[in-house]
Amino acid sequence: MKRDFNFTDFAIRYGFLILMAGLVIGFSIAQPAFLTARSGVFILQSVAITGILALGVTATLVVGGFDLSIGAVATSALMLSAYTMVIWDLGAVEAVVFCLAMGAFVGLVNGLLIVKMRVPDLLATLGMMFLLMGLQRIPTEGNSISTGMSLPDGSTASGVFSPGFLMLGRHRLDFILDDLVPLSVVFLIVIALLVWGFLELTRHGRVMYAIGSNAKAASLAGINVNFYRVLAYVISGTLASFGGILLSARLGRGDVASGNNLLLDAVAAALIGFAVLGAAKPNAFGTAIGALFVGILLQGLTMLNAPYYTQDFIKGAVLVVALVFTFALSGRGGRARG
Amino acid sequence: MISRRMFAGLLAGVALIPGLAVAQDAPAPFDKPGEVKIALVRYLSTGDFFQAYLSGVEKQSEALGVSLQVFDSRQDAALQADMVDQAIALGVDGIIIQHGLTESMKEAAQRAVDAGIKVVAFDVNVENAAIPQVEQSDRDLARLALEQAIKDQGETWTAGYVYVPGIAPLDRRDETWKEFKAKYPGITEKAMFGTMDNPIANSVANQARSVLSANPDIQVVFAPYDEFAKGVKIAVDEAGMGQDVAIYSADVSTADIALMREEGSSWKATAATNPAVVGEVSVRTLAQLLAGEEVGAQVIVPPTLITQAELNELNISNMEELGAKMPAFVHAEVSVSPWMKLPAR
Repeated sequence: MKRDFNFTDFAIRYGFLILMAGLVIGFSIAQPAFLTARSGVFILQSVAITGILALGVTATLVVGGFDLSIGAVATSALMLSAYTMVIWDLGAVEAVVFCLAMGAFVGLVNGLLIVKMRVPDLLATLGMMFLLMGLQRIPTEGNSISTGMSLPDGSTASGVFSPGFLMLGRHRLDFILDDLVPLSVVFLIVIALLVWGFLELTRHGRVMYAIGSNAKAASLAGINVNFYRVLAYVISGTLASFGGILLSARLGRGDVASGNNLLLDAVAAALIGFAVLGAAKPNAFGTAIGALFVGILLQGLTMLNAPYYTQDFIKGAVLVVALVFTFALSGRGGRARG
Repeated sequence: MISRRMFAGLLAGVALIPGLAVAQDAPAPFDKPGEVKIALVRYLSTGDFFQAYLSGVEKQSEALGVSLQVFDSRQDAALQADMVDQAIALGVDGIIIQHGLTESMKEAAQRAVDAGIKVVAFDVNVENAAIPQVEQSDRDLARLALEQAIKDQGETWTAGYVYVPGIAPLDRRDETWKEFKAKYPGITEKAMFGTMDNPIANSVANQARSVLSANPDIQVVFAPYDEFAKGVKIAVDEAGMGQDVAIYSADVSTADIALMREEGSSWKATAATNPAVVGEVSVRTLAQLLAGEEVGAQVIVPPTLITQAELNELNISNMEELGAKMPAFVHAEVSVSPWMKLPAR
């Protein structure tokens, strides 16, 4: 061991990953079924939707904002996709296009409210959250959407969820084992890589970090701050609507749901991500790991028959520990990364 | 006026004798139904069940010709109590309290009774002898589903159970589950799970996947709430265990019917009370009180067992067809007085 080994530094950088490895080992000993390929893939599947939402939140956190409307955007996309296919009798392509367009549009409105109308981030997106929670229920008068439902004019809805659309949430690819990897996991990985690449490797990404750390300085350096802030919300809205599409494809119906739990889980994943590798800032890799961490915990606890409230408790405890890692330890030892 | 009311009451009483029921004039105050105002004060309103309940209340009110005002507290217990006071101030003749917490509603309900208003409570115990309680029988619901499970699977099986404590109807269904486990020692409960995280079906699916991979020997899952059953079915399908696991549940909706009828579906049976019928019964019970008729302390709406085989046999694909082809589901002969007009079918 080198003499200048600094324990705090080490703990900040790798503590979280070591904790995660410890959890995997612990759960595997307690319940051997935990350590199988299917179980591993399943953990990824259970976090795919919140993970994608969390990557959207990360984009807004990077520019120093916050998007509270993602849960509502996701459930709105869930209802919109069901409405498109079941009531308008259109296909999978239309459903996906409408949802993504809706998500991007909501993000654009959020961004413009914040940038042009100068409404603080939290308040603008909070308003949007309530607006969407109500709006998504108006067309069906509060009912869930499913084939065969009665419409207000007395007829019954005849459209069905198109098989192509359901594939998005249900199809499995052969990978080592037959039918192993669900498409939603592939989407999560691809989106994580895209967001990571965008934020870490492109000029745009670095500009967004610059805005997040000091918007005024960035503006003086000639950066179009408003454009990038709006862009962050458009990314967030679009990713949230994509999460909603996957949810809809998994459930196979337009389920009336508030989406608040999606929001909370996604935010938790993004915040836990601050602590990974001692980044002390929002980052796509950390967010993905954060989502995975929560997924591993929940899968393991469920396998061990732990009741749901202990799961909430442990989720909260992990978040608090992660935030301590980020703020207290990194603050003392200086930023681990530049 | 008094003699007239007595006469009407007498008529209604005579008409209760079977065979004598013929169309007749409604008793006061339903001789002028347009002047009767009733209020529905809700605690829970989001979701298919509550939407259907409301439609039942609306339809029966319309059939009786009374005017209905809906107060929606959206799970705010204090607001719900205030809303009862608002309804009292508006001078309504009757109030239906739909769900809520005993602690917050008890006094408000008593104030309404003191003001001379007739009150009916649905699925909330307001601890008041003057207030009849309308209930869907959760114990019967669970019993019907479990009896079907015994019939299909025999008396010895390994079970998974979905339950979240602290929710009144689920707690009542849980009592029946415990009785069954005691009665049939061959039933082994291998795992208990459950969550109310929204969207419930998705969260339960995640849990059920873990449970099924940890306990691949589970043969029966008892999921006494349809959102739970939906989640379990997603997990069973994803795990490719459709042939090995049978799901028994409670409640029903159009989407549930489609899921139960899917090729090789693991969802074998559900027991349900039609929420719209419960809504209709609530209004009729209130109407009987207003007309001065005798009403018991508890009004129970009986559930119906719906099996996969029946749905396939009768080719039922939505709630309307379910009502049309299983008449027990669309109308309950509960709290019906001969003078009452029933909603058109």
